[in-house]
Amino acid sequence: MRFLMTTKGGSRTPDAAMMAEMGAFIEEMTRTGALLATGGLEPGGLRMISSGGEITVTDGPFTEAKEAIVGFALIEARSREEAVELARRFWKIAGDGEGWVQRVFGPEDAPGPGPR
Amino acid sequence: MTSLDAHRVVDAVWKMESARIVAGLVRMVGDVGLAEELAQDAVLAALEQWPEAGVPDNPGAWLMAVAKRRAVDHLRREERLDRGQEQLAHDLATRPDDGERDVDDVVNALDGEVGDDVLRLMFVSCHPVLSTEARVALTLRLIGGLRTDEIARAFLVSESAVAQRIVRAKRALADAHVPFEVPSGPDRAARLSSVLEVIYLVFNEGYSATAGDDLMRPSLCLEALRLGRVLAELAPDEAEVHGLVALMELQQSRSAARTGPSGEPVVLHEQNRGRWDPLLIRRGFAALLRARQAGGPLGPYVLQAAIAACHAGAATPEETDWPQIAALYEALVRVLPTPVAQLNRAVALAMAYGPRAGLTLVDTLNGEPALKGYHLLPAVRGDLLARLGRHDEARTEFERAASLTRNSAERAVLLRRAATCARTAEEARKAEEAGTVEEARKTKDGQEAREGRENPKAQTARDPREALDEAAEAPDQVADTGTAGTAGEARDEAEEARAARDEAGAAGTAGAAVTLGRAMTLFLTRPGLSADTMRSYRQTLTRLCRHLGEDVPLRDVTSHRIAEVFAAAWGTAAGATWNRHRGALRSFAAWAAGHGWAAADLAAPLDRRPEPRGRTRPIDRARLESLWERPDLPLRERALWLLLYESAAPAEWALSLNVEDLDLPGMRGEVKARGHWLRWQSGTAALLPLLVGDRRRGPLFLADRRPGPGRMPAAADLCPHTGRGRLSYERAEYLFKRATAELDSEGGGYTLHRLRHSRLAHLGEDGWSAPMLMSLSGHASARTLHGFVRVPRPADTVA
Repeated sequence: MRFLMTTKGGSRTPDAAMMAEMGAFIEEMTRTGALLATGGLEPGGLRMISSGGEITVTDGPFTEAKEAIVGFALIEARSREEAVELARRFWKIAGDGEGWVQRVFGPEDAPGPGPR
Repeated sequence: MTSLDAHRVVDAVWKMESARIVAGLVRMVGDVGLAEELAQDAVLAALEQWPEAGVPDNPGAWLMAVAKRRAVDHLRREERLDRGQEQLAHDLATRPDDGERDVDDVVNALDGEVGDDVLRLMFVSCHPVLSTEARVALTLRLIGGLRTDEIARAFLVSESAVAQRIVRAKRALADAHVPFEVPSGPDRAARLSSVLEVIYLVFNEGYSATAGDDLMRPSLCLEALRLGRVLAELAPDEAEVHGLVALMELQQSRSAARTGPSGEPVVLHEQNRGRWDPLLIRRGFAALLRARQAGGPLGPYVLQAAIAACHAGAATPEETDWPQIAALYEALVRVLPTPVAQLNRAVALAMAYGPRAGLTLVDTLNGEPALKGYHLLPAVRGDLLARLGRHDEARTEFERAASLTRNSAERAVLLRRAATCARTAEEARKAEEAGTVEEARKTKDGQEAREGRENPKAQTARDPREALDEAAEAPDQVADTGTAGTAGEARDEAEEARAARDEAGAAGTAGAAVTLGRAMTLFLTRPGLSADTMRSYRQTLTRLCRHLGEDVPLRDVTSHRIAEVFAAAWGTAAGATWNRHRGALRSFAAWAAGHGWAAADLAAPLDRRPEPRGRTRPIDRARLESLWERPDLPLRERALWLLLYESAAPAEWALSLNVEDLDLPGMRGEVKARGHWLRWQSGTAALLPLLVGDRRRGPLFLADRRPGPGRMPAAADLCPHTGRGRLSYERAEYLFKRATAELDSEGGGYTLHRLRHSRLAHLGEDGWSAPMLMSLSGHASARTLHGFVRVPRPADTVA
């Protein structure tokens, strides 16, 4: 099953040692096939609101920058525990911060008699 | 610790670490059974201690340390400790339990190459002294970390049966004194194919799971994928390993689309391609490329993956490149001559070149004992006959197929088709009796003429495809199918089968006297060769011609002479360069041998050279500063170099920029071919308006002179204002090397590549994260990036 790990902004800036450790960790995750995709996100970005057929695009400034997601990793794990374990290793390296681990639903989660 | 159940946490950690732990223990104690027992002791210890003490910082190392302590105890009892293990015993005994970091250090120091141990364990688990079932069970147990009950549920057998299987397997390994090693020499290929077979078996087992099955079953696909990916990292030079990974990634990409709402299978051409997983397709293509880079002859997994890639690359079923698939099957049946592969090839031929082509091949398979009772053989044959208007015969075949299938839904479809054939045949007879013989014949002729036309896209009859897909979807068969443009070279080589036919005529029967020069021309003008590949191949072959003479008959060229030319021309070049030329030669040699023009394998004496994943050392900031400050620097050079540094983009991208693609106020430019924006900073921003001047369109970076009449570049590479061409990579590289020669302590000058990566290294020093660097620089994987952003040692930064 897939999980999306996201990290919020506002954590400490990484130093060289952490960069190296994180690089090794990412390499390891890639090696085992656990890491499917990862990337950093532009802070802020565009906000889109669709309301009553009306679509508004706002490009900031946003006040709640610290709440914004600034990084993500899509991972393949065999269980929720395994996903948590991977996330735990990530935070051990990243230090203080905040983020989410969310299950990405797949065909096996669809209702009904079989995959849909 | 979170509220998660401690047992489940231990289980998750165990699954992640078991291969390494067991492998390390086998190396210590020399016995798989004992190693696993010791590892299980460690798991029990974890179950006792983690719920109270919490999960340790490095749970894998914790488990490993505990297991090794038990191993040492055991060896001591048996009085088998060697000196290294005495040291480990001492270290483990003198360090306190809670000093996890220390334990890690001890364990890691003695671990050595953990990856190699895992690879050894894979080979041992798939050893030929074991039955196939035992290999599968042992691999899942030891490498995958699956529990006995999980394996039992996945394979629909009882838990005690699996436990028995594993116990017997361990005993068999011990009895046969199977060494804990990665086989080398002639044994290696056979042993590796056993490992691949086991992994693919696991995958197929999961693939054949149906709705309502235990969830463990479909997850076998993911387990097999994981095993394959791990193996690909451990044995990166084996093309077939990457081929298998590519095949599984591509097949798995269709998992959401291959069953319908009530769990019924959906055949390939009816699948909603929008539901194919693009992530897995991309991984599949990437794995296929790695297979090609690994080189060597095309093996069954690479070919099957190439066929699957053909399908993955077709946005709609109608766009499927059937001639390509037929060519790939032709190559496949050469290395894997099974009747099922032949049947699939027949279907592909029919799709590509009309039913008659397929039928000829199918008819040769009729007596195959392996296909006796296989309903798809008469089903395919019936379909081809129906398309040829031979309805009576088609009906018989469909009826035979219906009597052979065990699937009731399938039987209904086949009987319906038989009935349709009967009706059509009856109508044709009536028409004839009514005297409209002429008309009937016309209809028939017209139909045959249509089908005879070599236009694969016009073939719309869909049933053979269905048959192919069913064969493809069925487990334990070879059959899936492909290559899209992205899989580049795999395609080139597969084209050879087809091209060989076309060219046999071109060279005539005087083939025996074909000269090197003539063969080179024919080789390079084959259809389907991409411009890049052709340029690269031409370089290699031109050099050969220059040394050996264009007029020398190809059969007189020996591999020995070629080896001499290679040694003289590229003997001292980088591994990658050598391998590129070697690859070109191998491709040429295989092609020439296929025509019977060259005696032996001309490329045989040339060994592949290692390509170290070199760490690009950054140029330090002070030196770059001094470069920017140089007063005599031409504007173009200064702008290009600053742009490369500030954007950390590949030089090809920067050079491909056009004036009209620039967003000067936004400090960015679009690399159209890549769909990627290249972003710069104030240094470049200050220079670009000067460099652009009054120009409105055309290449941003221009060559010094106008091109000569003989080497006119494409219109897109010409400046409409000045008539000058685009600055080439080679020239830009030369200019940078020349300008930096005096800065470079090695004297040769820096490469543009190194300039780009200096920026990445500097950003890394400044605290940018790997994902941020990846998105800035266009590096697709953190792995390739990792080499550049390693922690700089103090010496590097000061130098």
